[in-house]
Amino acid sequence: MTAPHHGRQLRKNDLAKFEHTYKAEIASVSQLTAMERLYRIQIIDPEERRLFSFKPGQFVMLELPGIGEAPFGISSSPSSRDDIELCIRTAGNLTAWLARATRGMRVGIRGPFGTSFPMETMHGQNILLIAGGLGLAPLRSPIAYVQEHRNRFHQVEILYGTRDPSQLLFTFQYDLWRRDEIGLGIIVDKPDPAWKGPVGLITRLLEPIIAGKDEAFIQNTSAIVCGPPIMFKSVCAMLNEAGIPMQKMFVSLERRMHCGMGKCCRCNVGSTYTCLSGPVFDFWSVMNLKEAI
Amino acid sequence: MDASQAQNRTYLGMPLARPRVAFFELSSCEGCQLQIVNNEANLLDFLSLVTVVNFREAMTEKSDAYDIAFVEGSVTRADEIERLAVIRKNAKVLVAFGSCACFGGVTQLKNRFKDPAWVKKQVYGDRSIQTNDTARPLEDFVSVDLRIYGCPVKKEEVEKIVTHVVLGRSIVQPKYPVCMECKENENTCLFDLGEPCLGPVTRGGCDSWCPNSRFGCWGCRGPAEDANVGQLQVIMKQYGFTEETLLDRLECFGGFAKDAEQLRTNMKLSPRRHEGTK
Amino acid sequence: MIFKVCEQEELRRLFDILAADNTVVGPVQTGLDRNGSALNAFKPVADYTNLNLGYTTTKLSAKSYFLPFRESLASFQIDGNDWQKTVDYHCDRPIVFFGLHACDINALNKLDKVLMGNTYPMPYYAAKRKNMFIIGIDCQPQPFCFCRSMGSDTVLHGFDLFITDIGNRYFIEIQSATAYNILARIKTRPPEEVDHLQYMAIAAHKNKQFTSRVDTTDLTKILDMEFQSPVWKQWGDKCLGCGTCANVCPTCYCYGVEETVDIGLRSAQKVKTLYSCNIVDFAEVAGGHNFRSERHTRLKYRYYHKHRGFVEAYEESLCVGCGRCGEACLAGITVPEVIASVRGEES
Repeated sequence: MTAPHHGRQLRKNDLAKFEHTYKAEIASVSQLTAMERLYRIQIIDPEERRLFSFKPGQFVMLELPGIGEAPFGISSSPSSRDDIELCIRTAGNLTAWLARATRGMRVGIRGPFGTSFPMETMHGQNILLIAGGLGLAPLRSPIAYVQEHRNRFHQVEILYGTRDPSQLLFTFQYDLWRRDEIGLGIIVDKPDPAWKGPVGLITRLLEPIIAGKDEAFIQNTSAIVCGPPIMFKSVCAMLNEAGIPMQKMFVSLERRMHCGMGKCCRCNVGSTYTCLSGPVFDFWSVMNLKEAI
Repeated sequence: MDASQAQNRTYLGMPLARPRVAFFELSSCEGCQLQIVNNEANLLDFLSLVTVVNFREAMTEKSDAYDIAFVEGSVTRADEIERLAVIRKNAKVLVAFGSCACFGGVTQLKNRFKDPAWVKKQVYGDRSIQTNDTARPLEDFVSVDLRIYGCPVKKEEVEKIVTHVVLGRSIVQPKYPVCMECKENENTCLFDLGEPCLGPVTRGGCDSWCPNSRFGCWGCRGPAEDANVGQLQVIMKQYGFTEETLLDRLECFGGFAKDAEQLRTNMKLSPRRHEGTK
Repeated sequence: MIFKVCEQEELRRLFDILAADNTVVGPVQTGLDRNGSALNAFKPVADYTNLNLGYTTTKLSAKSYFLPFRESLASFQIDGNDWQKTVDYHCDRPIVFFGLHACDINALNKLDKVLMGNTYPMPYYAAKRKNMFIIGIDCQPQPFCFCRSMGSDTVLHGFDLFITDIGNRYFIEIQSATAYNILARIKTRPPEEVDHLQYMAIAAHKNKQFTSRVDTTDLTKILDMEFQSPVWKQWGDKCLGCGTCANVCPTCYCYGVEETVDIGLRSAQKVKTLYSCNIVDFAEVAGGHNFRSERHTRLKYRYYHKHRGFVEAYEESLCVGCGRCGEACLAGITVPEVIASVRGEES
């Protein structure tokens, strides 16, 4: 006996999406800092690999059977279809296990999930990519997009701040970014004796970039901001002050997640699902999320 | 399975260490250790995860070369302080095993009497027994790396924790109170049945063992994270239970020592309640 | 819509027909509370006489039959450095619910929206939900019922048939072809004008019984305005953070997932457990940061999810006004009182 219930018709395909896991392999691990590693991950089945695609800003759920599952923003170029790269800080149970992982370990991947940075709508504009700490990890994907389509954008500036020089991520990439005519400013809060760059908070780097710019520049600028709430709050306030519309500033929020699919409620901010309506939000939406800032 | 085979165990291709494990008991009933021996179904799997080098309840051989020491019981005697210091020195990981080791447990009930000599006399009569005036948790003497709560510990939880240790996973204890699991077990709330219960403030993980048998919680696992004992006090009163009833429960296992002390102050009782000299 | 009327004794025949091939779950009296009032629970029932169709409410909702407190999402076989994941949707045998009140059926309809309606329908829920036969039954408003304020005192869909006691006979509303065919096996007749009048009289009488209410006017806006209101702190001070409100709630669906390795290291499990947003680590992330470390922020979040966020997404509240949370809360925190206090009303 079955009962005819309501709502839209569910097809088997829809339902199978829920716990669908790509089996993947860690293709390489590189140590970026004491706490962060970059994992190159390849879906094993070539047909599945061909079908997997994502947009900059989206995340995947990475699973180690029996150990756990957690969301990670993708740090690699969306055009690279062979593998994805995840920059992971050792913080909890799963990441501690990953820190011991070596090449060849088999992991599960679900996704990609969530919203993305609207790169196409930024064509023809100036872009400010502003990162604090681990916030550079999700920015590396839109940066790669910009590199691959450099002539579609005007002035592009990366502003990056960390606590101290030992925490700088992706140092091997800085020259490559500059070579593609992407401005790169780096600032640290606590310099070591060898540090020759600027010292202070990220807003110190931002100030000269937007100061004295004419209305045409400001109106034609979008910003992508990733970092801890206190950082993106002050950065976005400064950008807003300069006249950049809030709906042209994008931030990526980080929350606890157990499903990635708008069910478990662990990622809710106010009562908005970070996994469905985010992780990428424009700043106007963030302003309307009661608990976000 | 012999030791050399076991050394090669892996999980997801990662080699796993096989820790040498020792069990010790201070002042206790050894009921927590019994939980491990009791678990026939998984005992072999358990023994292939770790090498047990010292376990009075299950074997006669002894060794002082161990990585993990499970210490059951509270410290009530001078010689136990010395033994504990040696165990601490030998062990990489010292586990406070059960409520006595974590909080003092039932043995710390003697701490609430004013006159230790009277207590001794009531319990041991004229026999000459060396025992300290108070029963103390391990952490009062040595640093403790891991706590396994419960009177007794729950064998499923011990298994899970040992598996996690072998896998190198961090141990996360439930932070929620007993009510979570009690509701999951679809029990009728004991307050609705007119019985007192510490479930709303006690750390879960026991699968609401006592309330499942219609027996109110006595708080053996100590306070849940962010436990609202003050509100429970209000509730107990509303349901017609005396402060004494609450105090008895808060004091029973020692996990709520601070709250019990606060309640004693509110009740204008001396820190040690009973005169105990008659 | 098709209506029928049957004699009371026919309901027993209907039960026997359904129970012959199916698991029937219905309200059963399980005991008395400390005041001598009946305690009821939804249990599998084999004998019609064990059903307590005149029940007032149940302590727990019927949730465990479609959103079990604990459910395996997947299991893994571990083989060297390789593994196989097996997903089991637990598509069990159908369940017949015999005697759900309107609020509890409305709760299912709300859950359908979030668990079956969006981009990622949840197969674990869908498998059970699609395999239910629901008989609703009318009820008497209790002092804690505020379903009328939440628009859940009547139910428009989501069931197979709904019966109303109109005095020595039942008035039956038929919603599904399955129900129509099954009803053909018992003795019914089309309702007459006198039945209609009796039904309307009973409905009118019921409407007058409600004593508890929640003013939902502009509630989404008011909740935003009063986000910093000191009343949240006051309720938070009372809250035990025990999760009972969520566990007894027919619509709370939040959960946590835990993976564990079996002690033999040959298999692993991925288990979902219903969780509560009032529990201290609900919004704690790896590394230890907690987005809602204070008790009142978690309590507030629960109200925001139910009475603001869900309304924004689905134009209805995630609360059916069954009042179970307030009845179960040892600290006496009730929805009508909390919302009245946020609105600045004396309750």
